[in-house]
Amino acid sequence: MKSQDEGNSDRLLHQALREWKVKDRHLPARFHEQVWRRIERIEAQAHATLWNQVVDSITNSLARPSLALSYVTLLLMAGLLAGYLQARLEKAHTVETLSSRYVQMMDPYQHGSEK
Amino acid sequence: MKRAWITLFGGILVAVLAYFGFYFAGTAHSRSLEKSQEPELAWLQREFHLNQPEFARICQMHEAYLAGCAERCHRIDMKGEELKQLLASTNTVTPEIEKALTESAQLRADCQKKMLQHFYDVSRTMPPEQGQRYLAWVQGRTVLGESHSQMHHSN
Repeated sequence: MKSQDEGNSDRLLHQALREWKVKDRHLPARFHEQVWRRIERIEAQAHATLWNQVVDSITNSLARPSLALSYVTLLLMAGLLAGYLQARLEKAHTVETLSSRYVQMMDPYQHGSEK
Repeated sequence: MKRAWITLFGGILVAVLAYFGFYFAGTAHSRSLEKSQEPELAWLQREFHLNQPEFARICQMHEAYLAGCAERCHRIDMKGEELKQLLASTNTVTPEIEKALTESAQLRADCQKKMLQHFYDVSRTMPPEQGQRYLAWVQGRTVLGESHSQMHHSN
């Protein structure tokens, strides 16, 4: 009984497939090529290395103007801060060196007495 | 894609330029000090906010002090040499060694007295507030600094 029902449904399916036709024949230009490219891209993405994923992620992010502006601003601020801190260190070092040299000129035996 | 790479490297370039720009602007003061004829005195002028007449007066005092200092240093060196020879010739504290030690200490005390006098003279040439600050600083780095280190060694 059951096998008879299955035979009927297969016949119906085969009949429906034979009668099925694509009515909209106006596909976009190079539709097939685009489909294959998409498939290739998805397959390539699946096999992409971590580095490629990172690069893709960065380039995709930087393509957005708001993120690009934030990125450049952040680097500008980082550069300014690093320059300021380095200059401050350098300045402190110069002051310490010159003040020590002044003391050394005034009291040449200072270090000699400590030895 | 190309635009993203331009943004990426442009950002790095901006950071590098910002760093060097701020660094050179921030160290311009230090570089000008180091390039001056007498950097130590140029530092003194900036540090204690001296005007030109005060600075010129301090420069004169400084030159006079250094000339006397060189002479005193020479005497101390001579006495040190004498003491070295005496110490090499014996293994006890002879009256000659005792005398040389006393004279050496006297020369050092004289040197310190002159140095202190110079500090007071310099501080009086400065505006009162800066003079006080100068005295506290320079005494801490010389006379008081030495006594501190000696106390530290004795502990």
